[in-house]
Amino acid sequence: MNNALVPVKGGDAHGELIQLVSFSLDQEEYGVDVLKVREIIRMPIVTRVPNTPYYVEGVINLRGKVVPIICMRKKFGLTEAENDKQTRIMVMDMGGELMGFIVDAVSEVIRISGSEIQPSPAMVAGGVDQECIAGVINQAERLLVLLNLEKMFSRDEKNFFTGM
Amino acid sequence: MPQIDCEDQELLEGFLSETTELLEKLDDDLISLEKASGDTDLMNRIFRSIHTIKGASSFLGFDLLVKVTHKTEDVLNRLRKGELTVTSGIMDVILEATDLVKLLVSDIKAGDIQERETESTIAKLLPLLLESAGVTQQVSSAPSVVIQPVKTENEMSPAAPPEPSPAPDASGESAAGPAPVAAPVPAARPAADVAVKKAPVPPKPAESKGDDLSDSSTVRVDVKRLDDLMNQVGELVLERNRMIQLNQDLQQGEAERLNFNEEFGKLTKRMSFVTSELQMQVLKMRMIPVEKVFKKFPRIVRSLSRDLGKEVDLQIIGEETELDRSVVDEIGDPLIHLIRNAMDHGLETPDVRLAAGKPRCGTLILAAVHEGNQIIISIKDDGNGIDSDRVGRKAIEKGLISEEQFTAMSQREVFDLLFLPGFSTKDKATDLSGRGVGMDVVKTNIKKLNGLIEIKSTKGLGSEFILRLPLTLAIIQSLLVEVEGEVYSIPLSSVLETIRVDQRKFHLIGGQEVLKLRDMVLPLIRLQKVFNVQQRSDVSDFCYVVVVGAAEKRMGLVVTRLVGQQEVAIKSLGNYLANIPGIAGSTILGDGRVALIIDPVGMTEGCEGAVGR
Repeated sequence: MNNALVPVKGGDAHGELIQLVSFSLDQEEYGVDVLKVREIIRMPIVTRVPNTPYYVEGVINLRGKVVPIICMRKKFGLTEAENDKQTRIMVMDMGGELMGFIVDAVSEVIRISGSEIQPSPAMVAGGVDQECIAGVINQAERLLVLLNLEKMFSRDEKNFFTGM
Repeated sequence: MPQIDCEDQELLEGFLSETTELLEKLDDDLISLEKASGDTDLMNRIFRSIHTIKGASSFLGFDLLVKVTHKTEDVLNRLRKGELTVTSGIMDVILEATDLVKLLVSDIKAGDIQERETESTIAKLLPLLLESAGVTQQVSSAPSVVIQPVKTENEMSPAAPPEPSPAPDASGESAAGPAPVAAPVPAARPAADVAVKKAPVPPKPAESKGDDLSDSSTVRVDVKRLDDLMNQVGELVLERNRMIQLNQDLQQGEAERLNFNEEFGKLTKRMSFVTSELQMQVLKMRMIPVEKVFKKFPRIVRSLSRDLGKEVDLQIIGEETELDRSVVDEIGDPLIHLIRNAMDHGLETPDVRLAAGKPRCGTLILAAVHEGNQIIISIKDDGNGIDSDRVGRKAIEKGLISEEQFTAMSQREVFDLLFLPGFSTKDKATDLSGRGVGMDVVKTNIKKLNGLIEIKSTKGLGSEFILRLPLTLAIIQSLLVEVEGEVYSIPLSSVLETIRVDQRKFHLIGGQEVLKLRDMVLPLIRLQKVFNVQQRSDVSDFCYVVVVGAAEKRMGLVVTRLVGQQEVAIKSLGNYLANIPGIAGSTILGDGRVALIIDPVGMTEGCEGAVGR
């Protein structure tokens, strides 16, 4: 759990600059480590995969590779929204496997220093899984939730995915 | 322990691959030699193989190997000169020596040379070299007996009966890892420990041997095939250039003038021709003759027939049939089980056979043949066939089915019982069979390969097990079907037929929809329900049923529309979505969309759960 607070390598160097890709989801802003993001694409045609958890939107063809797609809104228990022009899929490297996440919009790459990351408030209401929140970045104008998506799937879910 | 100190790694690799090949062939040849002892060509070939191994290993300084091969060579030399005649006793010893050689070679391959116990095997070879070897021959009709007195003459303690198999013991483990191997072998020396071990086991290790030595990380490809491939790649490059040219013309607006449409049509045709050629070529490179698996069977059959006291004539047909490496790797185990079954349950002992008016020697035919996109392997014996009554009674005894169920069962359904795990008609498990594992293994492996199993059996006349396997696993022929707007792909290898039927003809048995199809009652699965597809169009009375078979099961998948047949490349869904029931993988269609490939095997299992009992 300790290193969950420090999403990027170099656990003790709190002054180190890290780069995050920020994206929005239901009016909140989130960030993930830029090194984990492989690419950001528009919504292609998604093929539904039956008998999977509700938040698995399906699979897409990413230049000949079949990549599973997760709907972040569903996963976090937020209200569902229609896909629009801003909707993007962030293709991330999840421990060697590619996986796509549907987000409302991707805004920018930001640099922050490790010391700006605060632990997440003990009680986060709402559906976002506690597990995958690596911290909160509180800057003058904005509040950014730092996610560690590899933690997103709890052990049970991973088993469900693979052990069915 | 001496480390492998070979300066020239390439030389070593060459030695290993050559030796492995020779050894694989050697087993086969030795068995044939036993049958045709007068065949001098064969004899010379065997002699040459051993000689080559000896020469190469002495050059590279593998002393143990030299010692064993040298003695073996001497014995073979005497056989060749006619000073000894081939008997099963002598063959046993020679085979044991080859096993030892294999073990030593696999040690070298693992890069970890161990001090193996070679003395006992050599000790068995020695008496055959004495002038008085004739004496040994007389006893040799009872093979295990030969060995005992021989050892006593040598420095081995007389109370050490078990080591006909220092090689078998260790070789089984050597695959797992070199560490534990060292232990059992030296332990074989103290006479006390030894008594615990099983009494003389004649060469049994052959099963694992082939796998140990065969190397799947490198491929040998015919140079001609490689040249052909190069040619085709050359053609592909030409077509690509043509395409670039066409695109340029189009960009510059010259397309109209050059009759772009027609040109592009031609190009597409040529491209598709070249790609499919290329695909075939690459596929061919992955193909290896089924001989690779088949050639270890004569040895297994030989040792089994002696264990069981049965006389068997093994005929192998079509060993040159080629199939994909991945398939070859998987069929070894099922075939061994089927052969064991045929020998243990199928074929009778000579006395029984004579009494039944059959020739004394049983026949076991192992055949492989291509049929379209499939390979068919059949194991046929002329034994007493499957006694469906007995199978039924056993199943009732075990509580697998009820009396009424049995009386209602067709012969095919009764045969299906054989595949249930834990099912065996034997009352007592022997070390050969009777635990009810074998057929389960067969079923699982064949299912994994998307294959089908068929059993034909006539009581008293023999049985035949027919395996239908796809040629390759990477690219498959598939049937595209539509389920309320969603496209799914079904491997064509498991599709038996498609029919258009009126939904009103479906019957309902215990909540399960079935279709009466000729003499068969076919359980139906609505893909729409299984995959939770939303209803789109109006319900029409007519729908299509795709009859699929997985291993020994048959069922019908209900779909809205048939789209067509297409060759598709299988793509994995990745770790996260790897094990969705009923889905084997995915593929990318011509329009770039992903279509899921249905796994009829998983489907049947789901069906069992739902329909079950």
